[in-house]
Amino acid sequence: MSTFILQVSGKAYGSAAPVHALRFAKAAIDEGHHILRVFFYQDGVLNASSLGSPASDEFNIYKAWQELAKRHKVELVNCVSAALRRGMVSKEEAETQGLSHWNVDDHFHNGGLGELVSGIAKADRLVCF
Amino acid sequence: MKKLCVVFSTSPHGNAAGREALDFAMLAASYDLETSLLFTDEGVLHLMANQVPESIGCRDYIATFGALEFYDIESLYVCEESLKEFGIDSDALPLDVKVLTSEAIRAHFGAVDEVVVY
Repeated sequence: MSTFILQVSGKAYGSAAPVHALRFAKAAIDEGHHILRVFFYQDGVLNASSLGSPASDEFNIYKAWQELAKRHKVELVNCVSAALRRGMVSKEEAETQGLSHWNVDDHFHNGGLGELVSGIAKADRLVCF
Repeated sequence: MKKLCVVFSTSPHGNAAGREALDFAMLAASYDLETSLLFTDEGVLHLMANQVPESIGCRDYIATFGALEFYDIESLYVCEESLKEFGIDSDALPLDVKVLTSEAIRAHFGAVDEVVVY
């Protein structure tokens, strides 16, 4: 059994990266491996939008991440500075920044790059998408 | 501790990849991971001297490369072939980077634990 940390840098819509990452995560879990966490960086933070609403006949990557987190207890971490620059805001941050809206719910938690780096140190392998 | 190589493969300023690569590299080094940087493809444009990114509304993160030694990032490499393709003279580089052949780059990738491409 191996422990993986995944880094997702591709945006939710218009990039195949998150779909590949999700499939990798599911396949690894099915084979008995452990996903330490999925770290969203660069445009990958856009996967955390709870407002993302693809057409009904399209794959819903936002929901798929939420289901993965719920079903397999996989930790989904957004790089907070990358997220804030791209308008991805949790309820708590919205209050801190004096914003009237927020779009990131509790399936994702905000972390620093330190969580990516400490994860790399801990995991057997980093896989980037 | 694991050894990391952070690869700069896209041009600066057109998007945020270079800046986010640099943030990652400095953070990794501050966590005591042995971190090296490699500039390749359009990433070699990070090494052009006298850039004024503020004039196109970008933050001058290029200046931060000068502070890498304070983060104990001492292994800076650049791809020989990419320098040639972009017509950049290796004697004119503003940073103390070592020019590597593709074979040497391959060997370096083999010597580190993780390669992260930006």
